[in-house]
Amino acid sequence: MNPEGTLQLPPQMSTIAPDVDWMYYFVYWVSVAFFVAIVGAMLYFMWRYRRRPGQKAKPTGHSTALEIAWTFLPVILLVYLFHEGFSGYVKGIIPPDDAIDIRVRAMQWNWEFEHRNGVIDEMNMMRVPVNTPVRLIMSSSDVLHSFFVPSLRVKRDVVPGMYSTLWFEATTLTKPMCQSDADCNETRVGGGFESCIENRCVSNCDSDLDCARTSGVALGVDWGAAYAMNSYSCSSHQEGERGECVLPVFCTEYCGAPVGIDRSAERNSNHATMMADLHVVTMEEYEKFIEEGPPPPPECAGEADCAAWGEALYNSSGCIACHAVDGVRQQPAPNWKGLLGSNRAFVEGEDREADLNYITQSIREPQSQIVEGYNNVNMPPYRLSDRQIQAIVAYMRSLDEE
Amino acid sequence: MTVAEAEVSHDGIHDPHADLGDAGNYLKATKGWKTWAFTLDHKRIGMMYLASVIVAFLVGGIMALLVRTELAHAGETIMEADMYNQVFTLHGAIMVFLFIIPSIPAALGNFFLPIMLGTKDVAFPRLNLGSFYIYVFGTAFTVIAIVAGHVDTGWTFYTPYSARADNSVIWMTMGVFILGFSSILTGVNFIATVHKMRAPGIHWRRLPLFIWGIYATAVIQVLATPVLAITLLLLTMEKTLSMGIFDPALGGDPVLFQHFFWFYSHPAVYIMILPGMAVVNELIATFSQRKIFGYMFVAMSSVALALLGFLVWGHHMFTSGMSEYSTMVFSALTFLVAIPSGVKVFNWVATLYEGSISFASPMKYALGFLVLFTIGGLTGVFLGILSIDIHLHDTYFVVAHFHYVMVGGTVFGFVGGLHYWWPKMTGKMYSERVANIAFWLVFVGFNVTFFSQFILGSRGMPRRYYDYLDQFQPLHMASSGGAYIIGIGFTIMGVMFVRSWFNGEKAPPNPWASAGYEWMTTSPPHPHNFAIDPVMKRGPYDYHLCTEEELWDGFPEDFVPSDR
Ligand code: HEC
Ligand SMILES: [Cu+2]
Repeated sequence: MNPEGTLQLPPQMSTIAPDVDWMYYFVYWVSVAFFVAIVGAMLYFMWRYRRRPGQKAKPTGHSTALEIAWTFLPVILLVYLFHEGFSGYVKGIIPPDDAIDIRVRAMQWNWEFEHRNGVIDEMNMMRVPVNTPVRLIMSSSDVLHSFFVPSLRVKRDVVPGMYSTLWFEATTLTKPMCQSDADCNETRVGGGFESCIENRCVSNCDSDLDCARTSGVALGVDWGAAYAMNSYSCSSHQEGERGECVLPVFCTEYCGAPVGIDRSAERNSNHATMMADLHVVTMEEYEKFIEEGPPPPPECAGEADCAAWGEALYNSSGCIACHAVDGVRQQPAPNWKGLLGSNRAFVEGEDREADLNYITQSIREPQSQIVEGYNNVNMPPYRLSDRQIQAIVAYMRSLDEE
Repeated sequence: MTVAEAEVSHDGIHDPHADLGDAGNYLKATKGWKTWAFTLDHKRIGMMYLASVIVAFLVGGIMALLVRTELAHAGETIMEADMYNQVFTLHGAIMVFLFIIPSIPAALGNFFLPIMLGTKDVAFPRLNLGSFYIYVFGTAFTVIAIVAGHVDTGWTFYTPYSARADNSVIWMTMGVFILGFSSILTGVNFIATVHKMRAPGIHWRRLPLFIWGIYATAVIQVLATPVLAITLLLLTMEKTLSMGIFDPALGGDPVLFQHFFWFYSHPAVYIMILPGMAVVNELIATFSQRKIFGYMFVAMSSVALALLGFLVWGHHMFTSGMSEYSTMVFSALTFLVAIPSGVKVFNWVATLYEGSISFASPMKYALGFLVLFTIGGLTGVFLGILSIDIHLHDTYFVVAHFHYVMVGGTVFGFVGGLHYWWPKMTGKMYSERVANIAFWLVFVGFNVTFFSQFILGSRGMPRRYYDYLDQFQPLHMASSGGAYIIGIGFTIMGVMFVRSWFNGEKAPPNPWASAGYEWMTTSPPHPHNFAIDPVMKRGPYDYHLCTEEELWDGFPEDFVPSDR
């Protein structure tokens, strides 16, 4: 197991990675041998038989034995390569019986992950327990996508109209190793990319610059961090936040970009930024997550009643598409400013105070009580956790306080 | 002069005493644009193709530079994501359909196939002109799609994305559909010509290897292109009539499209590379003054590649959700393709042994081809191995691999052939010094551009990405730098050829001391290729049967063949 990776290959973070890499390097060295033999012979002949006055080319001879030899000897090698490659492939295809299932839904340009008991993680956030086989059951709601995590050495197309599966067992936690600014500065100032790699924290440690950049905003080249070529990206998109180290999930099947609107710089706005953050966590942490749903981000310090999280959810879950928060705009959906505690009148004729219970119901079963004047647009149901709804309410409260 | 008298072997195909002046020069024999637009002369048609593919290469090359400029830095550099997607689509589609596929067969092949067969023209000259106009028409469709529309699907037009995208995709696919017909007709024409029109004395074992390669290519074009045509037609029908064929939203199957597409496009890879190999045969033979080692093995490996090429399309789809069983079969068959490719490389290197090797600019491209194609081929083995392909599929590793094969292979073959035959086609020499400078720029630039992409890819950089993580920055920067070096190299080469066209030194009939049949006529050739119908007494690589004068003096125009 090589968690640092090599010049050619990213870190090995899954059980199949060492086998794949062994094969890769085997073929690599065989290729180097062939290349040196072919190009070496070529260069030698070029020098030895360069054109000189008075020296003529000898008529070409003929050697059936030689022809047969170099036609059929490579076959043996190729049969071996095919066999090894296929058995490795089969190993990567058939999941162990005790694998846990995660449903993956791909859509332009987001990834959604649904865990046991219908627990849905935040958009583009993937959590898996370490040292546990995980099977992904993937579907797409629009065009082709492809699920790819370099450090796990797995890839599979996500095809609309069918389910595709893939499994892996992650072997290394993606915890942030630098807990304090001092740690981070050390890995940075220490400069040696070895120390950074050891700390699993390179491009995201201490500066907002790094964090902003991994979320797709170009601010120039950071050669030091880039040279380390680690495979981690930063999960925090907030400026000034300390990021957590995660593995990027890429989409490798071309899936376009929005036409006409320039959102190129944002994350999850086109094929190139259709990424998810993969966190490899301990089994306890994973179970806790299944129990309680997605935990609040670091800046909320464990509190669910946190407006910052609510605001993040407002953006990432897509509420922003219909709901305004400025207290002015009214269509197509009710404005969130001034909503909390107000009295809501419904099309059916009843009315009710907008408290936590009401908000929860409005999010999970929006069609159960439709606010008067808003019956022309259907809000889809959202399976947000209690804590997430708490955060949204906190956000609504903060809007009113402004 | 009777036929018996004219039954010349290598020497003096043309009547040396008759100075035919302009009448003996296909470029000047008739004048006025109509004599070009309605010409049936395969040489003029070849030149018109040459001009068109060079324009296509120029446009595709500019697109490539735009792509590399955008990718020089992470984030937005010169354009936004949607624009980038269109630009890389155009780069791919133009380079594949308008440049590489017609480049060697339609341009160089049209010009040299009849000459190398010692005949006056192709079997169906009118069909030949027709396929040129079909090419022009198809190009026009494609250009309309580019100018008027918004094509951002990538050159593979994968469904359901392409089925939902803008309507200009229809125009683009119709354009490609029409271009396909041009390929098919050219293929039919060449097959008929090779079978029926060979000059007396050119039996199959004396067929120049260039012809063998073009012949194998023509067979693939005729058999595979209809599948592409059908696929694109189905795509068009799906889009216009909302029939559910490939789009799951309408009840279709997106993976079916991939099968259809690659059933054409994998053989098309051989449509692209076989002609490159074909040219390299001629270059290596001429510049080492030696017959290609294992002539028959090399010839047959072209045919083998043409046939095997039909059986391996599934290796583009290892991650797409095919059954494990078909995955296995396709992987196994893919390894077979390595054999004929390897045989060719081994034989080329063996040809150098005991040769008399000149390093004139065309030969530099041939040797460059050997190096780059070897890298391209060996990295193909990585991709054939299933477990590794899962990691490498749709990353820059694949991008680098096919550029080594398509550019390092086909484009080097094409450019090498262009240098080699330029004196014959235009009757002008070019500056060898400038040609060498251009070669080194292109060769070095190419490796800088694409070798870095191997590492990008194996490190996990996916392809068709507008933006990327920081960790990929340095290699992307290097790759973009290399692209500019290539650009400069090709610009210098272009200027060199233009200057040669207008003020180049007059070319002798055989500047490279080649034994090839095409060098037996004047430069530029007679409108009927040879002033007298030739009868070939020796093979195109029988250097030991050629006289000293004819090789070293290069058939000077005033050279009078000794009476026999
Ligand atoms: C497709 C547009 C749309 C989206 C997206 C949407 N909503 Fe709504 N939402 C509506 C409409 C329309 C109503 C009013 C009708 C109703 O009560 O169902 C509404 C009502 C509500 C209400 C009750 C408001 C009131 O005035 O009583 C809440 C709370 C709410 N949405 C929360 C959310 C949250 C949280 C999200 C994001 C996770 C979200 N909505 C996403 C359209 C949307
Ligand atoms: Cu995608």
